[in-house]
Amino acid sequence: MRRRLRTQLPLFLLLAGFTAVNLTPIIWGFLTSLKQPVDAFAVPPEWIFQPTLTFHAQVWFEKGFGAFLVNSVVISVCTVLTSVSVGTMAAYGLARLSSRTSRGLLFGLLAMRMFPHILLAIPFFVLAKTLGLINTYLAMILALVAINQPFTIWLMRSFFVDVPHELYEAASIDGCNAWQVFSRVALPVVRPGLWVTALFSLLLAYNEFLFALVLTGPDTKTLPVAIAEYGGEDINYWSLSAAAAVGIMLPIVMFMMLLQRHLVRGLALGAVKG
Amino acid sequence: MVYPLGYAIYLSLFNYDLGNGAHDFIGFGNYGALLAEQRFWNSLDRTVAIVLAAVGLEFGLGLAIAYGLYRLTFGVRTLNLLLFLPNIVTPVVAALFLRWIFMGRWGLIAGTLIGWGIFPPDFLGDPDWARATVILADAWQFTPFMIMVLYAGLNTVDQSQIEAAQIDGAGVWTLLFRIMMPAIQPLIVFVLAIRLMDAFRFFDTIYVMTGGGPGSATETITLYTYALAFRLLQVGKACALGVLTLLFVALLTALMIRFVYRRERGAF
Amino acid sequence: MTTRSLSRRHLLQAASALAAPVLLGARARAAGTIQMISHRYPALEYYADKMRNALPDTTVNTQLMPFDKALELETIAFSSKADTIDIAYANDSTFLTFAKNGWLRPLDDLWAKYQDEFKLADFSDSVLKTYHFNGHLYLMPFTLNAMLFFYRKDLFDQAGKQPPKTMLEYRDLAKSFNTPLRAGTISCLKPVDAALNESHWYLNTIGDGWFDKDWKPIFNDTRGAQAITLMQEITRDAQQGFTSAANDECMIALQQDVATMGLQWATRAKAMDDPKKSRVVDKMEFEAPRQGRARISSDGYGISAFSKQDPDTLFRIMATATNQASMRGAASFALSPRQSVMQDSELIKENRFYPAALTAVGTGLPLPGLAEFYSVGDFITRRVLQALTGEMTVKAALDAAAGETETFLKGHGYYK
Repeated sequence: MRRRLRTQLPLFLLLAGFTAVNLTPIIWGFLTSLKQPVDAFAVPPEWIFQPTLTFHAQVWFEKGFGAFLVNSVVISVCTVLTSVSVGTMAAYGLARLSSRTSRGLLFGLLAMRMFPHILLAIPFFVLAKTLGLINTYLAMILALVAINQPFTIWLMRSFFVDVPHELYEAASIDGCNAWQVFSRVALPVVRPGLWVTALFSLLLAYNEFLFALVLTGPDTKTLPVAIAEYGGEDINYWSLSAAAAVGIMLPIVMFMMLLQRHLVRGLALGAVKG
Repeated sequence: MVYPLGYAIYLSLFNYDLGNGAHDFIGFGNYGALLAEQRFWNSLDRTVAIVLAAVGLEFGLGLAIAYGLYRLTFGVRTLNLLLFLPNIVTPVVAALFLRWIFMGRWGLIAGTLIGWGIFPPDFLGDPDWARATVILADAWQFTPFMIMVLYAGLNTVDQSQIEAAQIDGAGVWTLLFRIMMPAIQPLIVFVLAIRLMDAFRFFDTIYVMTGGGPGSATETITLYTYALAFRLLQVGKACALGVLTLLFVALLTALMIRFVYRRERGAF
Repeated sequence: MTTRSLSRRHLLQAASALAAPVLLGARARAAGTIQMISHRYPALEYYADKMRNALPDTTVNTQLMPFDKALELETIAFSSKADTIDIAYANDSTFLTFAKNGWLRPLDDLWAKYQDEFKLADFSDSVLKTYHFNGHLYLMPFTLNAMLFFYRKDLFDQAGKQPPKTMLEYRDLAKSFNTPLRAGTISCLKPVDAALNESHWYLNTIGDGWFDKDWKPIFNDTRGAQAITLMQEITRDAQQGFTSAANDECMIALQQDVATMGLQWATRAKAMDDPKKSRVVDKMEFEAPRQGRARISSDGYGISAFSKQDPDTLFRIMATATNQASMRGAASFALSPRQSVMQDSELIKENRFYPAALTAVGTGLPLPGLAEFYSVGDFITRRVLQALTGEMTVKAALDAAAGETETFLKGHGYYK
């Protein structure tokens, strides 16, 4: 036990130290949101100061970020639900296909992701405008699903590929049809993968900025766009953005904290599957 | 989903000026112009250098930390959550935070050092340091992604294999390199490919931190594409650049996959 | 697991069911609302507020964002002839692109119609002139701005110095005040906007300007090269990080007592005396740049050519927001294009920077009236920064910039 501690403790301290340094920008950003501009950008930087919650209050009450939060959440959740369900099924199909065809298809899908984001904004805008979908949730959700699909499919596929063939064969022999093999055998095995994919899709959808800028209107504006609106030309705005930035992180952090238990349990189960 | 991409490729064959609406078909004229430009090749070199350095850093660091977490027996969940925070921050905001840390003279780092009497170089204003800072910025945001995926992967490795190796007397590092990494090869390929692709598209953070400067020290391909599309309003040329980027990244990814799987053809 | 994936599908259906009414609802709401897109800084926020409350039975939705984002959005919307924007922001430079491409609706008829009701004759002619293109008025001016020379009176008095009368004096003063802890001067050279501002001053005062009357670049002639070389010398005494410093970063440098002097917009003068933002309250003094020729600019709003709203209503909203009472309210953080406001003695007394600003408006020069100026500004600022960081010599950089500019303009139909 003592020998274990001798290796465990330094390891922990090392990792914890790294984590602390890694978090400095976020901590500093958080502190900035609590300071008046004269203190926030003081030289030399101040760690002791008179805190103020004015900017946080302004962000949520005066500037109405609550509505934007609702928009962001609705759009992200719908995107994740669509993207993960469709993506998982597609990934399963690809994983079971022969190597060469699946490789080709996969690469084709990835082409979307290799193309610069910013150039896709214009075609998407034109498309949405023609269909009359600007300033609706649907436009954003469709665009986000389209953009994130390659990622979802590829990630899920790599989890499916790890499942040994014998498992599938055994299930078919037992009389399961194709759908049942998928839902009763494959899905449970890759459950930790599902959570990971859901989490990353959620992040991508929640933090998406460029497409939100172009496709949302005043009624469907999401948080990243709202924050970017306070980008420049006056340091007062910087303190506001800091406050908004901290606020925007909270839902995801809470979601992750709830999800942690599932993630870890899922991973532990996954390790025993062999 | 295919339509926007198709439309963009279609546009690249035109001399499409967003401003005066000129819409002349010039075939591969845009491509020719780009390939002959010094600015294109310079930004490509720079982008490749930055991407390789950043992804390399993220992978090495990510693997080390994921392995460390794997071997740790307490506090893992909390550390995991805390380490992941940089990835949760919206890129636009992350860029702002990083700017406040690295800004010359009054940024956190510069300000503190000057307070102690040491005068640091200009992180965002000196060409070499600006590149290093951009690499660091990318690594800061995306190493958590690596950590999370690699950690999940390490946890799916067969326990029996590990125990067998340990009985055979494998040390800590042999365990990692000889047993665990080969076992999660598909995952490693995936994560490297995704990062390569995304790093090439890295835009928001560089734009906010250095704007492509100083001069053109940190002007990557995406920044050049942005300038072409929105400042010079030459959308056709920008789309052509986009297609070239796509081809280049595809090539790079294919090479990487070929390299990783060179001993196991058909495993992919 | 089956049940879970099934229930996910159920959730999805429920979500789309929810989305549908929002879709319809959003469209219905959008029909009557007027959409306004703008740059964001305190004066514009004030005016946005005025526009929202201008006419009793209209709903104006104002979206304010950083300059380049607003430009992006406007570019995307206008180029696809969308009706998503009704009232659009532009400044004396960007409006040229919009006007030239036919994206803005000329205001001549409306201006004449409402001349008396809103006392439009009060607007200064010189400002209105800058908003004309091909003989038509395209923008209603809202704010006027000039670059002033900011300097620390307390430090100058201590050293027994006077503000510089020439650029060369400026260089020497910057050098003499330069210490490790406090830079001699600020330099704000972030591409594209900030860098163009500063280069504008140097090229006009020491150089021969940007273009000749046929729009051929002349900024790379000998005097132009001298101007940029002087800029290079002065940046040696500038604050760290000047190559990525835009107006905000320069402000912070001055407010935190980290730089002694420099060129900045008049609208930022008031913030120097705000104790919540500044450590140099009442210590900063302002002057019109002695040799003149620094940038003056004007921000305004125009009506989109593709808007489906009634142009009369839109014009009246803008005119109400810029009436005399409204502009007086904005006096401390913006200069007004209305002559009655600018010459009001009370306001001059209240705002320390007014005298300097008034002079600067008279001696300053706007950016060249070239519609593609921001586009070629991309090349020019890149090259200038490359020269400043030593990547190229000043002459080589300017020649390269001139070459690229000529090629670009030729491709756009110039030099026939």
